[in-house]
Amino acid sequence: MAQQARKKPFEGLRVADFAWVGVGPTVSKYLADHGAEVIRIESSTYPEALRRVGPFVNDTPNIDGSGYYANFNSSKLCMSVNFKHPRGPELVRRLVAKCDVVTESYTPGTMARFGFDYESLSAGRDDLLMVSMPLYGQTGPWANYMGYGHVLQAASGFNHLTGWEDGPPIGTGIAYTDFLVPHFAAVAVIAALDYRRRTGKGQFIDFSQLEAGVHGLGTAILDWTANGHEQIRLGNHDMEAAPHNAYRCRDGRWVAVACATEKHWEGLKAALGRPEWCDMDRMRRRWQRLNEQKEIDRHLGYWFEDYTRAETEEEFQTEEGVEGPPVRKFTTKQVVELFQSFGVPCGIVQSAEEMHADPQLAHRHHYWKLEHPYMGLRTYDAPAFRLSETPGELTKAAPMLGEDNEYVYKDLIGVSDDEFVELMASGVME
Amino acid sequence: MTQESPPVPLEHGDGPLTGYRVLDLADEKGQLCARLLAELGADVIKIEPPREGDPTRANGPFFKGEQGPNTSLYWWAMNAGKRSITLQLRLEAGREILRKLIASADIIVETRAPGESAALGLDYASVSAANPAAILVSITNFGQTGPYANWAATDIVASAMGGHMHLNGDDEHGPVRTTAPQAFAQVNAQAATGAMVALYARAVNAGVGQHVDVSMQEAMANAMDHAQQTWDIRHVNTYGPGVGRQTAGVRSGRYLFETADGWITALAVGGLIGLRADAAIDWLAESGEARDLALPAWRKRLTAMEPLASEERAYVEETLSLFCKPRKKEALVAEAQNRGLGWAPVFSPGEIVESRQLADREYWVRVAHDDIGESFIYPGAPYRLSETPWRQRGRAPHIGEHNEQVYSGLLGIDAAELRRLKLKMVV
Repeated sequence: MAQQARKKPFEGLRVADFAWVGVGPTVSKYLADHGAEVIRIESSTYPEALRRVGPFVNDTPNIDGSGYYANFNSSKLCMSVNFKHPRGPELVRRLVAKCDVVTESYTPGTMARFGFDYESLSAGRDDLLMVSMPLYGQTGPWANYMGYGHVLQAASGFNHLTGWEDGPPIGTGIAYTDFLVPHFAAVAVIAALDYRRRTGKGQFIDFSQLEAGVHGLGTAILDWTANGHEQIRLGNHDMEAAPHNAYRCRDGRWVAVACATEKHWEGLKAALGRPEWCDMDRMRRRWQRLNEQKEIDRHLGYWFEDYTRAETEEEFQTEEGVEGPPVRKFTTKQVVELFQSFGVPCGIVQSAEEMHADPQLAHRHHYWKLEHPYMGLRTYDAPAFRLSETPGELTKAAPMLGEDNEYVYKDLIGVSDDEFVELMASGVME
Repeated sequence: MTQESPPVPLEHGDGPLTGYRVLDLADEKGQLCARLLAELGADVIKIEPPREGDPTRANGPFFKGEQGPNTSLYWWAMNAGKRSITLQLRLEAGREILRKLIASADIIVETRAPGESAALGLDYASVSAANPAAILVSITNFGQTGPYANWAATDIVASAMGGHMHLNGDDEHGPVRTTAPQAFAQVNAQAATGAMVALYARAVNAGVGQHVDVSMQEAMANAMDHAQQTWDIRHVNTYGPGVGRQTAGVRSGRYLFETADGWITALAVGGLIGLRADAAIDWLAESGEARDLALPAWRKRLTAMEPLASEERAYVEETLSLFCKPRKKEALVAEAQNRGLGWAPVFSPGEIVESRQLADREYWVRVAHDDIGESFIYPGAPYRLSETPWRQRGRAPHIGEHNEQVYSGLLGIDAAELRRLKLKMVV
């Protein structure tokens, strides 16, 4: 079927991206990967924090060498400008005049200090859309608190709900909220863009990473406000499902298994060959099994220990040398396939290396390989959705600092060749 | 409150999505997605099987621990602000009505396994035949096609196979998932973003609808921090750090310290190491608790932005632990922030509800449950739009609460016909 060429969703929209670290750049990455011209506004005098955090190519810190920075900034351009230079603010304002959207995530007040607050930037026009995305919002006693997702996950409840019941609130191992809240912000920004498309009106979005993060806590807030019950971390157990855990296999890898329905449980019993323990009366119903989780874990723990073998052929030979009746043994991958063939939700706890080789992600082309002038061919994440008509496209690797100065200063801000040379010498582009 | 309570969902005439209609046929993977659209103004119609209603009404926890069709806190949280109708999609008569609803809708959110959606009229071919401008958002475990497309998964399986869980946990116990389901939270929020991109794309492409194919595994793959790039560039696998800092040799991360009334987290870089280390050391020194850290050699070491050797780290951690242990967490965090250090308290859900910051911003909304004569505090605006505000639109609907409103008001089905459809168990 012949298909007419589609316009990329955000083609023709230009974004001035003052945002830094994870949250803001993820929002503008959605816009960039779907056709907007996103211009990162950075300075070597106050570098974007992630340009100074690895992983670095060759393990050597370099302003253009961070994989951390790169992954958030595919498909974008970059200009460099020093806000503190006498000419800086004026040039930035001239650029914003040519933009539809402003994204930023500085501590409240920072933008205003340079005259980049919404009121100033939108003077004389009513179509500017601006979103500010600091940790705690524009107002309140914590407005100026600093931090990153590493600590915001604590203030927003994720530490409390991650870890073992008798252990400390270890939280996730990552700057978790940086990877949750930008998806909320993106919804608001694109909805506001749609309103702007229909009415010509822009607006200001006060986005607090904490306030969005709370929406990721499932039922925990209502359980407190309606029932007075504080939910707590349960290791890999679940308030609703049993069995529900990760079990260690012979090769050191872990397999997650969950029976959320009776159908899942029947499937698991069949896959295990109906051992006696799982046909006992007190295992019959989900609410009964919730009380028997220790016992279930003990049996399944043994099963995974007994019925899995190391992945390599050599170690398997040693296994077979053991005396006793022959027992069918499975590799970790085979266990998962066996359980899945009985409809049991089950999967390997995959490392980054395994994710890289995952056939499903490869089928969906999740990882993009993009060539960067300094970093070479590197891996980037795609959005989790595929649009059948206007698919996202990572058009280029992350920009080098100031890579697009000539285009931005001359074509967008409108400085002449001579002035461009003068500005370069003046230090405003540092 | 019972009599004067306005009917749910509350009107939302000034949202950015006011005027759009969304059909919600989703399970845990898509109900929050649809709720986000309702709170931005869209008319969201939840479609449930007749009689017993949506299966997620049986998801706990329950109000006062008592299970019933309208007591699931999960249902309350994820479906507030929607209308509800009943419709049996396993009957052709039901699918015929579905097609009429699709014709009036902008976005349809469904979560059936890839092979199962066609029989219910929820595959893209059926949807686009009923309405070529419709945006079908299909949220599945692994995506519509591919080797794992038909694999079973729940939140923990997607957390595992999406790589995120590998980054949590510790050496002693292995990997751990977040007890509040994050694969569900992630895929809902990312699917809502996809729906918005498609909605915008429709307007710039002469009204063409499309299929938005969302994978829960992939949503979790996007929550791996820099682990993927660390593998790609350094061939090091990041794994759960326990209470300590990131383990991939990256100079970022955080510490966790116990206090007199709970725990706090402190950024390593920008807190204890690097440019701001002096501020931390001064603070400890002022109360005579800096131990050797106040010595010039230690100051130099901590401000150098170089990774610490493990025994050095242990000494820093021990010093800070001793300092934090007798103090209260909010006072500690306030003073740390006062000195420019990026610390935060570990809050439980109850502490979040009590937090000064959220109270000051008037974050919480009180939602009337006219059916039981009570009201409860819900999370408020995840974003504050100056012109087209977010609004909480009241409690979640009962099973088929809006049948007459939707079937007669929207589709023009008269009372007699509706009775007939009920008898035939179509609605």
